[in-house]
Amino acid sequence: MSMINIQDVTFSYTGKRLILKDINLTVEQGEWVAILGHNGSGKSTLAKLLVGLLEPKSGTIAIDGVLLTPDTLYEERKKIGIVFQNPDNQFVGVSVRDDIAFGMENLNVPREEMLEKIQFYAEKVGMSDLLEKEPSTLSGGQKQRVAIAGILAMQTKIMIFDEATSMLDPTSRNELMAYISTLHDEGITIIMITHDMEEALYADRLVVLKEGAIFEDDAKATLLRKPERFREARLDLPMALKIQSGLSKTDEKEKRVRDFLWEFVSAK
Amino acid sequence: MGIRFREVSYHYPQNHLQFHQAIEKISFQVSAKGEFIALVGHTGSGKSTLAQHMNALIFPTEGSVEIFGHSVTRKRNRKIRYNDLRKHVGLVFQFPEYQLFEETVEKDIIFGPLNYKVPLDEAKTIALKTLAQVGLDESYLNRNPFNLSGGEKKRVSIAGILALDPDILVLDEPTSGLDPEGKRVLMDLFQSIQFETDKTIVIITHDMDLVYQYTSRVLVMNQGKLVFDGTPEKLFRTAPLTEYQLSMPETIKVLQAINERLGLSIDIYQKTAEAAIQAIKEAVRQ
Repeated sequence: MSMINIQDVTFSYTGKRLILKDINLTVEQGEWVAILGHNGSGKSTLAKLLVGLLEPKSGTIAIDGVLLTPDTLYEERKKIGIVFQNPDNQFVGVSVRDDIAFGMENLNVPREEMLEKIQFYAEKVGMSDLLEKEPSTLSGGQKQRVAIAGILAMQTKIMIFDEATSMLDPTSRNELMAYISTLHDEGITIIMITHDMEEALYADRLVVLKEGAIFEDDAKATLLRKPERFREARLDLPMALKIQSGLSKTDEKEKRVRDFLWEFVSAK
Repeated sequence: MGIRFREVSYHYPQNHLQFHQAIEKISFQVSAKGEFIALVGHTGSGKSTLAQHMNALIFPTEGSVEIFGHSVTRKRNRKIRYNDLRKHVGLVFQFPEYQLFEETVEKDIIFGPLNYKVPLDEAKTIALKTLAQVGLDESYLNRNPFNLSGGEKKRVSIAGILALDPDILVLDEPTSGLDPEGKRVLMDLFQSIQFETDKTIVIITHDMDLVYQYTSRVLVMNQGKLVFDGTPEKLFRTAPLTEYQLSMPETIKVLQAINERLGLSIDIYQKTAEAAIQAIKEAVRQ
C-alpha cells in the first residue's frame, strides 16, 4: 500500500484558472521526494491539499490507504505533518514545551503521556535543554526543530517541508537538512517542497512541476542526466552540474573532473 | 553625507517583549553613492535591528547614527524632521504584506510621494516610471496588490520606495522565497538601478552566492556585534565562516571538493559557474 496516492487531482480557487491539473503521484513509505517548481508552479498548493488545508476540485487523495474525505480528514491528518517556510508563523505557545504540546492537546493525549512524549521528542530533536525557552528567542533552525518535535509527537508517518529552509541562515539550514536525513533513515516519508536545487540533491526522487502540471517525475540520478528539463521548468541546475556542462567530454583531464562532479551530485 | 554609526548599541528594557535583537557598539559608515553592500549573519544576529537604525525607524539606546547630516540619538530632537531622513534612506521590509495596504498598485506607490507633498499628477507619473523600473508594465496600476504573486508584491513594494527617490535603498531579505529566476531578475534589477542612478544599495541576505556575485562590500553581524566589514573576496578568503554561522558560496564549495579529491590546484575563488569552468580548464592544463 502506498503512503500517498494522488489520482487525477485538479485544483482551482473559485472560477479562476487551474492551479493544479491532472496530478497523479504515488509515494511509497520511506521515500524522500523533492517537489520542485518555479514560483506559482503549484507546489505549495499541492502540499496544502495533502494536509487537507485545501480540497481538490476533482480527483482523490489517499494517505496510507485511506481516502481523504471530510469524514476521514481528522484522523488522517495525524499521519501527516507540515513544516512551513516561516518558522515564526507556526508558534502558538509561550515556551518550547507548550509548543510541542499543542498538537497533542488537540488530539486529547492524556497529560502523563504528553509529558513523557514532550521529553522524548525534545531530546530527539536536540532541544531538551531549551524546553522552558520562549520560542521567539530561538534561532531559525531551532524554531524549525521545535516545529518538527511537535509534529513527531503526533506520530506522523509523513513529513512535508514546505520551503522550510528558505528563511534560515546557512548553519541552521545545514542543521535542518542533516536532521531531515535522520528522519529519513528512521523510515519517515519525506516530501520536500523547494526550488533550491542544492537541497533537492538530498532526495531520492525528483518531481518537477511546471505551470500546475507534473513535468517530470523520476529518480534523482536519472533526471539529473537531463539538464535541459530543469531549464525548461525554469529551474537552475545544481552548481556542480552547471560547471560540469562547460567541461569537455573528450579531453581526458577535463573528463576526470566531469566524472568526479557526477559522483559529487549523486553521493549526497 | 550618507550614514555613519558611532558606537551604536540597542538594548531592551527588562521584561520587554523582544521584537528586536540587541546590538552592541556598532561603528561603520555607508556612503550616499555607489555602494552595493550585503548585510549578513545568523538568524537573530541583529541584522534587521541594525537596518532599522539606518532610517531612524528605531533609535539607538547608546551612541548615535548620523543620517545625511542629522544625528539620531536616544533622545528625540525636535529640530530633526525624521520623515525627511526617511526620504534619504528607503527601507523595504522582508514581507511586502507589511508594507502594501492600498487597494490598487498605483495608490500604494503614490502614497509615499503624496505624503511628501508631491502633486497627484506628478506622483502618478512617478508611479508609472518606478513600476517600469521594477519590470512591471502599466497594466499593474489598477490591480490589487494582494492578488499578485510573491515576486510581484516584492517588486511593487520596491517601486513604492523607489518612488521616494531615496539615496540609499535598504532591503531586508528581498530574494527569500523567490525561485532562482526570480532571484536573478531582482538582483539584476538592483544592479541596474545602482548602475543608472548611483544609489547605494544595502541588502540583508542569507544567500552567499548572491553576496559573492553581486555585492562589493559585506557587513557581518554575529551575536549583536559587527564582526566583519570588507569585500566578499576577503570574507571568503580569510574570515572564520563557521564561527559566524555562514557558509561558502556553491562555486567555492564545488571547486574545493574537486581540489581535495583530484589533487588539483584550481583557484577556488570564482564567482560564477562560467568563471569556475575557465579556472578548471586552466588548472588541468598545467
